[in-house]
This record gives sequence, structure tokens and C-alpha cells, in this order.
Amino acid sequence: MHPPRRFGQAFVHRLILLWLVVASGWVPAASLERNVLVLYSYGRLLPAAIETDRGLRETLRGASGEQVRVYDEYFDAPRFGLESYADTTVDFLRSKYEARRPDVIVAAGPQALRFLLENRARLFPGVPIVHEGIQAASIPPLPPGVVGVAHDIEVRRTLELALRLHPRARRIVFVTGKAEGPDLEWDTLVRGEARAFAGRVSVEFLSGLPHNVLLRRLAELDGSSIVFTRGYFLDGEGRGTSPLDSVRDMAVASGAPIYSPFDTTLGVGVVGGFSRTFVDVGRQTGRIVNALLGGADPSSMKMPEREPATLDLDWRQLRRWGIDERDVPADAEVHFRKPSIWEAYRGQVIAGVVILLLQAALILWLFAERFRRRRAERAVERQRFQLAHALRLAVAGELTAAIAHEINQPLGAILSNADAAELMLDSGADRRVELREILADIRRDDLRASEVIQRLRTLLTGREGEQRPFDVNELVLDAVAIVRSEAARRGVTLEARTAAGSVSTVGDRIQLQQVLINLILNASDAVAGLPDAQRLIVVTVTPGAPGGTLTVTVRDRGRGIAEGNLSRVFESFFTTKGEGMGLGLSIARTLVEAHGGRIWAESPPDGGALFCIELRQV
Amino acid sequence: MSTPLIHVVDDDDSLRTAILRLLSAAGHEARGYASTGDFLLHASLDRPGCLLLDLNLPGPSGLELQEELLRRGVPVPVVFLTGHAAVPDSVRAMKSGAEDFLTKPVERHTLLGAIDRALARDAAQRQSRAEADRLWARFARLTPREREVFERIVAGRLNKQIADELGIAERTVKLQRAQLMDKLGAGSPAELGVFAERLKQLRTPAPGA
Repeated sequence: MHPPRRFGQAFVHRLILLWLVVASGWVPAASLERNVLVLYSYGRLLPAAIETDRGLRETLRGASGEQVRVYDEYFDAPRFGLESYADTTVDFLRSKYEARRPDVIVAAGPQALRFLLENRARLFPGVPIVHEGIQAASIPPLPPGVVGVAHDIEVRRTLELALRLHPRARRIVFVTGKAEGPDLEWDTLVRGEARAFAGRVSVEFLSGLPHNVLLRRLAELDGSSIVFTRGYFLDGEGRGTSPLDSVRDMAVASGAPIYSPFDTTLGVGVVGGFSRTFVDVGRQTGRIVNALLGGADPSSMKMPEREPATLDLDWRQLRRWGIDERDVPADAEVHFRKPSIWEAYRGQVIAGVVILLLQAALILWLFAERFRRRRAERAVERQRFQLAHALRLAVAGELTAAIAHEINQPLGAILSNADAAELMLDSGADRRVELREILADIRRDDLRASEVIQRLRTLLTGREGEQRPFDVNELVLDAVAIVRSEAARRGVTLEARTAAGSVSTVGDRIQLQQVLINLILNASDAVAGLPDAQRLIVVTVTPGAPGGTLTVTVRDRGRGIAEGNLSRVFESFFTTKGEGMGLGLSIARTLVEAHGGRIWAESPPDGGALFCIELRQV
Repeated sequence: MSTPLIHVVDDDDSLRTAILRLLSAAGHEARGYASTGDFLLHASLDRPGCLLLDLNLPGPSGLELQEELLRRGVPVPVVFLTGHAAVPDSVRAMKSGAEDFLTKPVERHTLLGAIDRALARDAAQRQSRAEADRLWARFARLTPREREVFERIVAGRLNKQIADELGIAERTVKLQRAQLMDKLGAGSPAELGVFAERLKQLRTPAPGA
């Protein structure tokens, strides 16, 4: 093969390729591909590794138009001691990445950096190295071409915060593991930091204990202690675990709050702490790698001194340990906050409360309304009964003439008999038989007068509101007796047709008697001025079945009631009489209905009016 | 002339009995009636007396009975007795000529006084009625011509004027004058004047007229 020709062929190929690129906008991947190799000290599933990888890839992807390929290798320390197979690893990596020679190598963690520095000449000499995730104290002197940002762990700040949030704490318990490398480095670090607190609180180390022994010890702690750990890789018996799993167990067992300066342990039961998140570490590293890929000179690169730390806290743990959120620094990010009902359903809660309040207001209003109505009803009822009472007295007044007549009749007889007796005695003759008759008559008339007075007394001064059983026949006879002389004065004949046997109802006898007298006087008015035969009023008692209803009717032969007025006569202030207020029947209805009865008027076909009172029969 | 009889009309048996007893004890003769109808059917009114009448009676009232008696020209004095005196009733009764208006219960002296006054009035009325009857009887004896002459004499006409008016002789007038004075029992023209005056007073309802 001739080189020029080969060159020519290649040139043609390149031209065609260039044309294709220009014509289609397609960038051939192979030509601009850059390789980044990341060597992780620990296992692939360590949260720190996962988070760092995420940040790194995110940053690398968006850095330039170039296609950046990222390759990862995990040494899985401390489960595997890298020293024992370092040479093999060098061969392995050199063979593996022969065709994809890295442009930049990232050393994640101290083991990876140490391996690279020791084997750099054999591996990929001259390739720039970026370290990350290594505490300043663990970074060895670096040759040219090796850069990176120290990963400081905020032990002191986190502890200061913990002491502020737990003012009662008198002891700090540090928990460290036994793994050669990460655990022991961590142990060294915290022992150094712990010295700063030795004067203020007691400091205790639970280092390299068997896992279950440690958990027992933690369980014995109380609120006067603070646990500080980031977990460990190996326990005192050399059993492997992971920082995350170990911390999870500790959080379950511990009687004291646990603080950790790694955000990766947040969420398994740790209160929190100041930390640099591994995503940010990855991003930071990505930016350095981007600069190196862009051709920056590693020796002249300016590195940020440290990443800013963030304070991350677990809201559930704040609650668990009774930490007032007002004591939490304002720049803290509180995770896992369970929204309160108020926060989660604010709208619904407001709507619910509003509906509840409206409902309550409505109920209150209805109650008030009901109360007012009942009070008004009671007032109306009271007034009606007062009116009924007043009307009763008015009726009594109307009956005065008849009453006076009825009482004066026996009184007149008594006086005249006494006078006669006196004259007889004066005459000197022996008229003993006659005198005896006179005395008998006087006694009889005296009783008669007192009977009238007795009857009228109930009408005039009887107490209302008494609910008692009584015979309706007697009621009718009494009412008729009271009105009879007034009826006679007006030339009206009264006829009472009582039922055979007693017909009882329960109620206020006086009020019902008043109703009946009212109906009889109304009937008397209706027949006034009519021919003799029509001046007749008949009061009839019709018994019903026991427990049923009895009826009392007042029938007159007067002018009757117009069909349209049959129901209106019971309305207040409705009257067809020249005088009268039109209250009598309305009050009669009130009184009857107060007894659970009914009152109505009818127009019998043969003339006159018929008033019916229906009452419960007992 | 027979002794006076007092008619007591009251529907109240007890009171009526007591009143009758009292009147009897006071020396009166009295009879009771339970109703207006009873009285009208059974009372004999030719004897002197008076009526003690209850105002409030079943059926026709006492006032109605009083008015009925007036209409029938039975001049019996009425004393009303009432259980409760309503002013309009008493006014009406007095206007119709009631002797008195008493309220039950009534004092013995009040009652008997009223009864005595009523009986006295009845007696007086009966006396004047008897005298009137006599006068009327005499007057009835006059011939129509004599009555014409009588009226003119009483009017103060002279014989001559009467003769001219009646178209008869003065002598005839003198003769008839003498006859009518004789029939009427008048001794002088002055007595004739008195007779005429009394006759005029009695001209209102003549018994049997």
C-alpha cells in the first residue's frame, strides 16, 4: 500500500463525510467522542456513589457539543482490599480501556486516588486526574495534573446544631466502625473534632462494637445524649454492612437522637445535619472535568476551596424528639414534612368549616325562630284566654238582670213570708200550722237562692285551667239554668236534651260552660223579635262510643247563617250583629280547640242555625 | 158594695204564695195567678180591687197585660213587682198609669201602702164612675131636641137666640128648657152648668159605649 494513495483515499472519504455533515447537520459520533473514566473506591450501590454519578453525568452531558462517554469502575472497598490485586487491576484497566483511552480520570474516594497515584505511570500516564469525595485531611501531596476539591465533612457545625436543638443534652456519643480505610479514617476524623466539645459535654466513643451490642448500648441512651455517626462498613466482629443500613438499625434502636453529616442517611431515622450533597459533589466534579476536556491546564486551574454545605433535617425526627421548628435555622431544608390536614386540604377544610358554621348559624337561627314563634304563640294564647276571661265577665254582666231576678225571687218570697208570719203572730190567734208552713217555705227559698249563687259563682269566680273529668249533661243543665231567666226575659224558650246516663269529658268545665252560654246567647239574639214558635233554642247532648267523641249542639230557629259565612263566623272580628265585637265565636273556637275538640256551624235544611261542639269522650 | 179583691200575678209559686199569705194576714182578700193567660181567663173584675203584677212573666209580660187591660177599658189599678227594675220598663209602666213600681224583695209597709193606695184609687175611680153613670143615665133621658137646647144653654145662648137657631118658637124653647132641667134634676141654670161641666169631664170612655 502506498501512503499517498491511502492519504488520498482518506481525504476523499473525509470530504464526503464533511459534505454529509454540512448537508444533513449530522455530527458523526466517532470523530468527537471523549472518554471519562470514573474509579469509585466503594461499591456501586453506595448512595454516595449513586448520587455522585448522577450529578456528574448530568453536568457532563450538557457541557459541550462533544459526545462524552463515561465509564465506571468500582473497587468496592472496604469489602475488597485493593492492595492485594492492584497489579491485576492495572493490567485489567489498561487492556479494557486500550481502545477507549480516557481523556480524564475521576478518582472518587481516597482508595481510588491512592491507587491511581501509585500506578499512574503504568496505567494512563499524562491523563489528568480529578479527585472528589476525599476529606482535606486524607488528601496526599498531589503531583501535577491531579486536581480536585476537598470534601469536608461538617462534623463541628452539625454537632453545634445538635446541641442547640437539644439544650438538655449532656453527652455526645460517637459511633464508628472497624473497616480498614473508610471506617477508621472516619474514626480518626471525629476523634479530632470531638476534642472541641470535650469541655462542654461528656464525649463517648462506641467504636468497633459488634452490631447488636452497639444497638443495645444505643437503646440504653435517653434524651440527655446525642448520637453522632454516619454508619459504618464493618462492625466490631468484621460483619459487613453499609453505612445506610447500619444507621437505619441504630435509628430504630437508639433512645437518643442521631445526627449525621451526610445527607444520604437522611430519611432512615436520622435527625439530619450539615452536609454536602453528593449530587452537588458530582456536579462540581463534572464542571472540572468539562474544563479539562475543553483543554484547560490543570496546574493553573483555580479550585473552589469547598462546596457550600446545606442543612437538611427530617421533619418526622424533629417531631419525634420534640424539637420546636422555630428553633430550626431559617436556611434549613426540612424534608419529609407530612402536611397537616390544614396544609393538605386547606380549601376543603375552609369549605367544611364554613359549611359547618353556616349550618350551625342556620340551626341557631331556626332555634331562635322556633323559640320566638312559640313565645309569640304562647303570648297569643295567653291573651286569648285573658280575653276569654274578660268576655266571660262581660257575659256575666249581660246576665245581671236575669241573675238579680233569679236571686230576688226567693229573697222576696222569704221577706214576704216573714212579714206574713209577723202579722199572724201580732193577730194573737193560734196559727201554728200556717207558721210552720211559712218556715218550711222560707228554708226552701233560702236554699234556692244559695243554689243560684253557687251556680253563678262558678261562672263569675271559677278558676280556669283546671283539667278534670266532668259530666257533659251537668254542664249543659248548668249553662241552661244560668241563661234560662235571661232567655225568659227575652221571651226565648230553652230546652235541654241531655243524654241518658253520664257522658264525660276531660277539661276546663268553666271554659266549656262559657262556650255553651255564648252559643245560647247568640241563638237568643238570632231569634229575637221572631214569632213565639220560633223563639225556641234546643241544646242537645249526643254521646259517642267511649273513647270516641261526644257532640253538643245548639239549635235555633232564627234567620240562619249565609252559606258563605259558615266558616267565617269563627274568625275574629267577624260579626253580623249590630253590636258585638265578633270575638265570642273566635274565642269559643280557641277554647274548644284547646280541649282537642272541634266547633263548627251548619245550616239545617229546615232553617235556623246549628252549632256543633265535638269533644273527646272518656 | 163588695169587699176589694187583690189579684196577684207571678209565675214564681213560692213568691206568689208568700205574697198571698202576707196580704191575707194583713186583712186583704187576694187571689193568685201563675200567668197572664191564667189571669185573663179566671179573674173576675167586677169586684173592686187592684192588680199586683210581676214584670217578667213567661209568655206575655206584665207590661203587655197592663196595656191589654187598658185597651179593654178595665180600669183596674196596677202595682208592678219586679226582680230587677230596668229604668225603661218602669217608665213605660208608669206612663201606662201604673199605681206603683216595686222591687223584690219588697218591704211589708211598702207593699201594703202601695196596695192601699191602689185600692183607694180604685174606690175613687169606681165612685166617680158610678156618678158618671148616673149623669149619663139622666142625660140619656133627654130627647134629641132637648139635647140641642141643652148644648146651647150650656154655651150661654139666650132663649131667643136658641129659638132662632133651631127655627122654633121662643116659647117652645122655654118649655123644653124646663123639661130638660127637670129630667137632669137641675134646680137652677147654675146647677145645669155644673152638670154640663162634669159631663164634659166624663165624656171619655163611657162604660158600655
